[in-house]
Amino acid sequence: MTTPAIDTTALTRRFGDFTAVDNVNLRVDAGQFFGFLGPNGAGKSTTIKMLTGLLAPTSGSIRILGEDLQANSADIKRQIGVVPEGMALFGRLTAEEYLRFVGRMYGLDRATTLNRTRDLLEFMQLAGEQKKLIADFSHGMQKKLALAAAVIHGPKVLFLDEPFEGVDAVAAGTLKAMLLRMIARGATIFLTSHVLEIVERLCTHIAIIHRGQLVAQGSLDELRAGTWRIGQAGIQEGVVSLGEEKRSLEQIFLEIVGTDRDGNPAATAPEQELSWLS
Amino acid sequence: MVELTRPQSVPGSMPPIPASAQLLAVAWLRWRIFVNGMFRKRPKGKRQIVGLVFATLLRLIVWPMLALVVVGPVAASGFFAWMAISQGHPQSLASLLLGIALLWQFVSINGLSIAATIPSFDPASLVRFPLRFGRYFVLRSLLGLMTPSTIVGCLAVLAAAAGIGVANASLALPALVVMAVYALMNIYLTRMIGAWMERWLANRRFREIFSMLMALFAVSIQFINLQRTPMRAPGARSSWLLAVLHSSGSYLYWLPSGFAAQAILLVKHPLAAVAQFAALLASTVLFAAVFAVRLHKQFLGEHLGEGVSGREKVQSAPRVNAPAPQSAALSRPAASGAIVSPTVAACLRKEWFILRGNGTQLIGLLTPLLFVVIFSMNRTFSSIASGYFLPGAIAYLLIAALSSLYNIFGADGRGVQVYLLAPIRMLDVVLAKNLMSLALIVTQVGLAWTIICVLARTPVPVSMQISTALWTVFVVAMNLAIGTMRSIQAPRHFVPGQGRQLRASPTNRTSALLVLAVLFGCMLLQIPVAIASGYFRMPWLAAWVFGPLAVAAIFAYALMLRNAERLILANRDVFAEELCKA
Repeated sequence: MTTPAIDTTALTRRFGDFTAVDNVNLRVDAGQFFGFLGPNGAGKSTTIKMLTGLLAPTSGSIRILGEDLQANSADIKRQIGVVPEGMALFGRLTAEEYLRFVGRMYGLDRATTLNRTRDLLEFMQLAGEQKKLIADFSHGMQKKLALAAAVIHGPKVLFLDEPFEGVDAVAAGTLKAMLLRMIARGATIFLTSHVLEIVERLCTHIAIIHRGQLVAQGSLDELRAGTWRIGQAGIQEGVVSLGEEKRSLEQIFLEIVGTDRDGNPAATAPEQELSWLS
Repeated sequence: MVELTRPQSVPGSMPPIPASAQLLAVAWLRWRIFVNGMFRKRPKGKRQIVGLVFATLLRLIVWPMLALVVVGPVAASGFFAWMAISQGHPQSLASLLLGIALLWQFVSINGLSIAATIPSFDPASLVRFPLRFGRYFVLRSLLGLMTPSTIVGCLAVLAAAAGIGVANASLALPALVVMAVYALMNIYLTRMIGAWMERWLANRRFREIFSMLMALFAVSIQFINLQRTPMRAPGARSSWLLAVLHSSGSYLYWLPSGFAAQAILLVKHPLAAVAQFAALLASTVLFAAVFAVRLHKQFLGEHLGEGVSGREKVQSAPRVNAPAPQSAALSRPAASGAIVSPTVAACLRKEWFILRGNGTQLIGLLTPLLFVVIFSMNRTFSSIASGYFLPGAIAYLLIAALSSLYNIFGADGRGVQVYLLAPIRMLDVVLAKNLMSLALIVTQVGLAWTIICVLARTPVPVSMQISTALWTVFVVAMNLAIGTMRSIQAPRHFVPGQGRQLRASPTNRTSALLVLAVLFGCMLLQIPVAIASGYFRMPWLAAWVFGPLAVAAIFAYALMLRNAERLILANRDVFAEELCKA
């Protein structure tokens, strides 16, 4: 059995009396393009923050590339790349300065840093904006730069929180090609996105989180076939079949998050129409 | 397009990242942020010239003030240290060092920190990089050394060492070593307090409690001052504060300042001096350790935001038959007898909701009134020059109150887009914001007026009351006019109620200078009028001067309001750039 790239056991995070992530058992094998889905406020970003060491879990354990994250955070951070929710760029730097800083922080030597900075700026079509401060970049340009910074050190695992939000179609195509090339070379990508078409096209494996709990996890084919595993409190409870016909990811997603834990329709749909809307 | 052909994987057994590489990278980052901040894109043309003139004037005013703030404590430290040794009062060295430490911490807590106000760099964001905790601790210790509190504190400690050395050359070397450790102790004490404050201030309720405590502290200091220098009646009892200070002298030797002083003074008794020095070192290590505990939590991934409460069950609202949209009616004056239009009423309600939920802002409004109460109770102040206390107190209140008029859209941030997109007149929004500010100012001034008339021992002459009222109308109307124009031309986003360390200044530097210039100009106008009034024995002269000025200022404000809509539409790009950007 190979060492999973990401492995969590009973991962839980509470904020006061609110449980944002509840007993999540995730397993992402090396080389997978893994989609992590859920409605707004389901706990996706909190999970990513915990997986990347930016937020401590209340309980549970996280192993990245077989190493315990809490015990070896510095070594693990060298092998992962992150595009966080808020991008966390330094607005008063230029793109080139930022990439040079990130490269040096990840231990790249000066020459390698400069070469990769040049390559990435050209690849991301940011080479013409070298004198511009990051604060003056558009949202899409900032996203591209954040992605460039996340891959400059050649990470084995890449965490992407809504990487295509605000990125134009041409750049999105370039980014997708780059990500698929990384997968082909053995990297693991953990992606969250609300654009289910992108997830369906790129990801081989999917997990769905709803109200802090993992409600589905499996390969895309398993999900399409209407079967998936449910993992809660460290127990794999088996395979649940929802029917014979193949469904799109959007249908599956809506079916899962549209029901409560007992399978009853969730009472989130408005009971009345907004009749005053024209 | 370039192909990224480089290998993507990192070898399994990676060589460690040299500490020097990471430390130098962060130093380079800070340098680039500083340099880029200096050469940031500036506005072009007429605005650039105006901005440059104001910036130069601001520097001419602020730098000498800052120099005084630095030179004063430094020179005093050196002088008193010299005096303590040469005049034979070695015990006062501990008091001097305690004073330096208190000043250092007070300046630091009040957020007068260059590093904290530099935008777009939060040292805590470094945790996402592959740093070991030791390096993170070193980085957090080094970052922020160039703060005014540290610079002034270190220079004061150095001056004290020099003063001791000049007074007694044999103490020069031990003084230098001890003072270096004492400075380090103060640096870690500041960091420790700052780190824990950051943790606590992340909670809004605590921020409000903290603001209240700071206000109470400021107020109680005034009472202490009155106690220390009793001015009520000749022959009054001596101050309890002085008695407390005298009796607490021996306890100072149990504080780090006492350890430092003893370590220098007992140099002829090496064992005792070393013991005192060890105690000073131990306190330094203790503060560093407590600071490290806090940093370690941050390093492991701590959530510093507001606690998220449990999800409340969504109550389905009773069905209401919604009326048809009436967007066209929004901008019209209310036909149902209301004083203001629905837009103004809605904006006023919104401003009130924000104010009501912001305890820090409310405390800020009440604090000046407390000072007015304190000064009104004091005979010397309240009888200043036969009744000039009233205009003085009102002027003092207005200094604090009027600065908010210069950035009325700042607290809205991206929310300003709602105003720009909604089918409303921006004039109504400006009017609502000004009405809210005016209501607060009128309330404050009215309360202060009442307090002074009730508590002041000398009755305020009617002529003085009327001229003060006219002067107040003139100042408020003039600041409303200039402030509103400045709010439109140079808005700046800020978060109301946040601690000073967590936010940028609510006005930009040019506006800050303008506030100072207008306010002090208006205040200074009172002086020649008062002198002339006294010289010619014409008590109503001030009223004759300020009456027409008040009318002119109101006219200027009305003129500005008339042009507000056009000005805002012409400055939409400025709004988008300053308020709507991430």
